[in-house]
Amino acid sequence: MTETILWTVAILAGLGLLLSVVLFLIAKKFRVEEDPRIDKVEAVMPGANCGGCGYAGCRAFAASAVAAPNLDNHFCPVGGNAVMKQVADILGYEVQEKAPMVAIVRCNGSCANRPKTSEYDGVKSCIAKASLYAGDTGCSFGCLGCGDCVAACQFGAIAMDPETGLPVVDEEKCTACGACAKACPKQIIELRKKGPRGMRVYVSCVNKDKGAVARKACAAACIGCGKCVKVCASDAITLENNLSYIDFAKCRLCKKCVAECPTGAIIAVNFPVIKPKPTPVEVKKEEEYA
Amino acid sequence: MRKLTFPIGGVHPEDMKYSRGHAIEVLPLPPVVYVSVAQHLGAPAVPCVAVGDKVKTGQVVAEPGGFISAYVHSPVSGTVKTIGPRADIAGRPVTHIEIVVEGDEWMEGIDLSEDLVTEIPTDREAVLEKIKACGVVGLGGATFPTHVKLNPPKDAKAECLIVDGAECEPYLTSDHRIMVEKPDQIVVGAAIMQMVLGGCRVVIAVEENKPDAIAALDAAIGRLGYKNIEVATLKMKYPQGSEKQLINAVLGRQVKSGALPISVGAVVQNTGTVLAVYDAVQKNRPLITNVLTVTGDCISGDRMHNYLFRIGMPLSYIADYAGGVPADAAKIVSGGTMMGKPIANLDAAAIKGTPAILYLSEEVTRRKPEGSCIRCGRCSDACPMGLEPFLLNRLYKADDLAALKENAVQDCIECGCCLYSCPSFIPLLDNIRMAKAKVKKL
Repeated sequence: MTETILWTVAILAGLGLLLSVVLFLIAKKFRVEEDPRIDKVEAVMPGANCGGCGYAGCRAFAASAVAAPNLDNHFCPVGGNAVMKQVADILGYEVQEKAPMVAIVRCNGSCANRPKTSEYDGVKSCIAKASLYAGDTGCSFGCLGCGDCVAACQFGAIAMDPETGLPVVDEEKCTACGACAKACPKQIIELRKKGPRGMRVYVSCVNKDKGAVARKACAAACIGCGKCVKVCASDAITLENNLSYIDFAKCRLCKKCVAECPTGAIIAVNFPVIKPKPTPVEVKKEEEYA
Repeated sequence: MRKLTFPIGGVHPEDMKYSRGHAIEVLPLPPVVYVSVAQHLGAPAVPCVAVGDKVKTGQVVAEPGGFISAYVHSPVSGTVKTIGPRADIAGRPVTHIEIVVEGDEWMEGIDLSEDLVTEIPTDREAVLEKIKACGVVGLGGATFPTHVKLNPPKDAKAECLIVDGAECEPYLTSDHRIMVEKPDQIVVGAAIMQMVLGGCRVVIAVEENKPDAIAALDAAIGRLGYKNIEVATLKMKYPQGSEKQLINAVLGRQVKSGALPISVGAVVQNTGTVLAVYDAVQKNRPLITNVLTVTGDCISGDRMHNYLFRIGMPLSYIADYAGGVPADAAKIVSGGTMMGKPIANLDAAAIKGTPAILYLSEEVTRRKPEGSCIRCGRCSDACPMGLEPFLLNRLYKADDLAALKENAVQDCIECGCCLYSCPSFIPLLDNIRMAKAKVKKL
């Protein structure tokens, strides 16, 4: 009995030893030389593997960045300038700072603004809904409200607002990886520059219908009236197919268009609230008249 | 007589053909028509009239926008008021030509008499050109331009033309009425197609629930005396009107995955299309009319109709003429209960291939809550293409596109048999449709 156990242990131990030596030799012979900088670059990456940079994951990005002659075509939207600076330091490249971006939802067709014209009881997915018809409201361009963008976001930065039925982007969490923009079958989500202190002005509508049709479908639609184009001093607004668009690069955040827009389709966010100066009102007491 | 059917899968929904006894009525003209430029599969047509132009009935208003495209003709005489986007039945903007109706003056050269022309022309190219010029498209559902389908590649030989009179969709009776009321025209139309395809065999396939149509067609074939045309009786089974299933039922041949019917020597044409070909070739009449059924489970038999409509009539106008939308209609469908498309916008205009206005009540249309798969295998039994819907559904949820492709998700004909047979009400078809779209993008 004891002998059997001893033999067994001896044979298995011997086998283990022998095979480990074989494995060691094979590993030595077929060793793949890899640029050690890839590991270093990968270590400073956020590790989200979101694909926002256009590569399959952080390691693929690192391998491509190491092989590239410069970093012009490489940018990690999640890590932003801080991570790119670190990557550039490791590789000894120069990198230009990019303005931070954020995803914005270009639809303001809340339940109140955009009355329902039909009821959808199919699979709760925007792609399924979009393949079937234009949507359950009169607007065939706007948000379908089934939350494909929410499902696509790996950072928990988008949530559906139950009151409006529209997705809301959490600016703190949004990394501008663009997954939501790709998931949206109506292409209403746009990556836009965050702006100084987060201040930005944009047209929150993608409806290309004629004014009357758009207005009938949604109270907050861009009706293509062109008032914003006229009022804009910096030539930042273009009107095409009954829809205006504000070029962020040219916009000087004067907010004149916001005040001019008759439907409230142009939205300004993160501007400091200017408190109206209290105007002194002289209250004359009745006694004085007396 | 032996009754034919396809061997695997299929379901037997109740046929609900309550409107089968209603003769075809001609709808009066509405004050305005909206003619869509996308009434066919392929590239949309390009408008060739301008705002303010006077048009006559049957005049070309839009020309083909590509190889697979079709002419569109004015269904009325009047003045073009606007050309611009208008919502179709799905609510999507499509270019429509708005024509204010000022009467019904037809173009010269169009034979409006009801006399039967039995002489078959012999110039194949001229016939194809006429079919193209009259804007004939397949009226079985896909609206594929007929002149393209009747012109198979040179190396392929058509052995059999199958005229699809199965009409396996529940509720629809428009093809049935055509076969009962115009059997002679259908037989002549089939003989014209026979000539175009080089004298092949012709089988008019009709399901057994239409005995009057079978008798009428049989009598017409006997009367007219064309060679090599016969009527085949099919067993009732859905989806028998589907091209691949019909070929299998009639010829016993299977079309390979991804191949066209001509690869097994078959060409399938719908009865409505055959009638349109007769009108185009013998009467010079463009395709501006078709028959639709107004029916449903929430209207009584006396309110059901089979109407001969002109393209461009707003569906709401047809519905109003038929007595208005019933109060308890929860869903309005263009087509039958199995494959019909929901009408999101009743103001949309009728197009060449509009098959029906179907009113369904809340009770039959409301989806039941989705349960878990109990592995009963009914969906696999029901699938006429021999696929495994439960597996495709699971693979879609796992986003395994390679495995979906391997399991032939692209062969799905979207007939809905899996969804119909699932006891757990799993939205199999919805998910498979999305899977197909994803795999197609690969």
